[in-house]
Amino acid sequence: MLVIDDERTIRLLCRVNLAASGMDVIEAADGRSGIELARKERPDLVLLDVMMPDVDGWTVARELAKDERTRDIPVVFLTARADPADRRLGVQLGGVGYLVKPFDPVAIGGVVEEVLARIERGEREQLRRDISSGAER
Amino acid sequence: MSPVEGIEAADRARRLQRVAERLAEAVTPEEVLDAVLSEGVRAAEARAGAIGVLSADGKSVELLAQQGYDPAVMTGWASFPLDADLPMSQVVRTGAALFIPSLRERNELFPALAHQGQEGHAVVVVPLAVAGRVFGAMSLSFDDDIDFGLERREMKMTLARQAAQALARSRLLEAEQALRKRMTFLAEASDLLASSLDYNRTLRQLARLSVPGLADWCAIDILGPNGEIERLAVAHQDPEKVRWARELQERYPPDPKAPHGVAQVLRSGEPEFFSQIPPEVLDESIGDDQELRRIVDELGLRASICVPLKARGRILGALTLIAAETHPLYTQADFELATELAHRAAVAVDNARLFREAERGANAALALAYVADGVVLLDREGRVRHWNGAAAAITGVDEEDALGRPVREVVSGWDTLAALVPLVPPGSAPRPVTLPLAHAGRERWVAVTGVGFGQGTVYALQDVTEEHALEKTRSDFVATASHELRTPLAAVYGAVRTLRRGDVELSEDDRTLFLEMIESEATRLATIIDQILLTGQLDAGAVEIDATECDPAEIAASVIDSAAMHVPEDISLALDPDGSPRIVCDENKLRQVLVNLVDNAIKYSPGGGRVEIRLRRETSHCLIEVVDDGLGIPMDERNRIFEKFYRLDPQQTKGVGGSGLGLYICRELVERMNGQLTVASQPGRGSTFTVELPLRR
Repeated sequence: MLVIDDERTIRLLCRVNLAASGMDVIEAADGRSGIELARKERPDLVLLDVMMPDVDGWTVARELAKDERTRDIPVVFLTARADPADRRLGVQLGGVGYLVKPFDPVAIGGVVEEVLARIERGEREQLRRDISSGAER
Repeated sequence: MSPVEGIEAADRARRLQRVAERLAEAVTPEEVLDAVLSEGVRAAEARAGAIGVLSADGKSVELLAQQGYDPAVMTGWASFPLDADLPMSQVVRTGAALFIPSLRERNELFPALAHQGQEGHAVVVVPLAVAGRVFGAMSLSFDDDIDFGLERREMKMTLARQAAQALARSRLLEAEQALRKRMTFLAEASDLLASSLDYNRTLRQLARLSVPGLADWCAIDILGPNGEIERLAVAHQDPEKVRWARELQERYPPDPKAPHGVAQVLRSGEPEFFSQIPPEVLDESIGDDQELRRIVDELGLRASICVPLKARGRILGALTLIAAETHPLYTQADFELATELAHRAAVAVDNARLFREAERGANAALALAYVADGVVLLDREGRVRHWNGAAAAITGVDEEDALGRPVREVVSGWDTLAALVPLVPPGSAPRPVTLPLAHAGRERWVAVTGVGFGQGTVYALQDVTEEHALEKTRSDFVATASHELRTPLAAVYGAVRTLRRGDVELSEDDRTLFLEMIESEATRLATIIDQILLTGQLDAGAVEIDATECDPAEIAASVIDSAAMHVPEDISLALDPDGSPRIVCDENKLRQVLVNLVDNAIKYSPGGGRVEIRLRRETSHCLIEVVDDGLGIPMDERNRIFEKFYRLDPQQTKGVGGSGLGLYICRELVERMNGQLTVASQPGRGSTFTVELPLRR
């Protein structure tokens, strides 16, 4: 798993709780290094903050979608932005999950597992539709 | 001439002389009639006499006075047709005198009289004429049958000439006096009508002026905008009767379809004149209402004139004059006077209305010219008919460039706007629609209402660009504030959830980390909330400044001391007091500002360095500089850092977290203390924030 967030606390929460679900976690504290890490490490999934200085989460998602190496990596947004417009943008940019802060970090391992399982079953589009309706919250 | 004849002739001459003397003294027609009948009858040695004149319409003979006849016999003879086969009618018709020696001959000549007044004998009827025009006749009845000789005939003719002249003279005088009275009245009425533009008041005064000289009752009715009849004034000499008439009016409101009177005159625009009201007219007006009949009988209405108030072809109302208990029956002259009076009143009302309309128009134009809202009037084709000053200011299009042109050509964004503004009918309350109006490269936000009416539409445009920007700022503020709160809240909530997780054994280091996280993020939450509240207070102007004289060096020292408690090891703090002038400010607010600036300086010096507060004394100000040698601020962001929620792009500040409100609050506080907060910076070499506050005077 790759967690891209400028907040140290959020990265820490994700790392500890995903590790508890048996997942390996790598971290990036800004958008630019997040893109590089994704290209290099090809994680199974990216947890992506939106409001980050310089290169924000939307830009990161666009960059990942453009690049052949990272195109298929599922992106789950993890953000303080709760507007419906933001959710729609998340879907447009290829997101398969949209978690609004504050979120329950204990459940995050389960969320990631479910997303991966459904993608395995070929339900990527269904996941994206769920974001628009806010179903995963 | 025999001696007897001579004596008789002298006697006749003396009698005629006496009549002439009496007539010379008589002034009014009544006096003349009295003189003619008392002296004339005696002079003619007659038993009785009567004088009749041609009526105003020339169709009948009216008996003016009589003497010596039995009143009971005379009651039926007050007036009789000119073409009747009667002695007086014939004389007035022909101008030739009648000398009838006996009753038998009278009855032969006038069979209509054969069965009445049989007690008389000879009868003489002589014409009353002036300048060859017969206007009446005098009849004399005698106790004997008389064969009138030439002298006696001549004497009667002379008597008639004297009477005619005196009567004509007195009638002329009376007519002249009546005319003068009318002219005086008209002049008085005209003065009254010209005295004020409040025509309701002047018409009421006019009605009062008209009684009792012109009528027993005077009423003025005005035609309302919807054809209703409004009784403006009722006048009678007796105020008690006026009150009674008003009550009556309420019980019997005017019927616009009534066959006679005001309603009829207002409908037709033609006057209605009854020199004597025929009973059938009253009957028609009363109908079957017994109560009304009782009232009308009590009123004793005898003659009426109702004339329309007409100006420029429009019927404005009606003037009604009624002769009842005292006023004589109306004549043609009265009718003419009433017509003239109504004409003048109508012109006055019309003028007053025109003036009022013109004034209203002028006032409306003034109001439209200076009202702050844009007012746009379009005709049915969408062409601009009115474009006031505010509309010009809002759209940026001058009136002369807009008038007469289709509005969609005048303002490019108009169709888009109009499509979103619902048109409401007149009288309903439209809700303004707020939307952008784009024209010629500029955009204003306008609150628009539209009212559609028969001849077109009128739009009111209020420029709400500033309010809209303010509203946007406010909603942005709420959105941003909630985002700012979500992140620390996520950390606190997440840390607690993780710590309480039963299925994972956390290392001691991680536990410590999470507890520290809870503490620092909760503090951050509190700070953000404080700053949001303070910002709200600053925006509302609700922050009070308690300005006192204080020592900035002392404040700066305490700020440095408390910063030293948590400053990273690689940062050194310093204070350069330099003479320490005394200043006037709110000590707590200044401390708050300096704490914030020092915290910022430390935050933006991630590689360590020196943070110093320097005090500088100027002529009238004290400069407090907070200097660091940290990251510095890029040129183009130097002004933006004072905006709400603006944050530099400080990757190195991870974990420190700010609300984005600190510098905004600092600048606002300093400015409220009559000071200034400025920044100088060189990227990569540090920044200097300068607080400039006035010295003590």
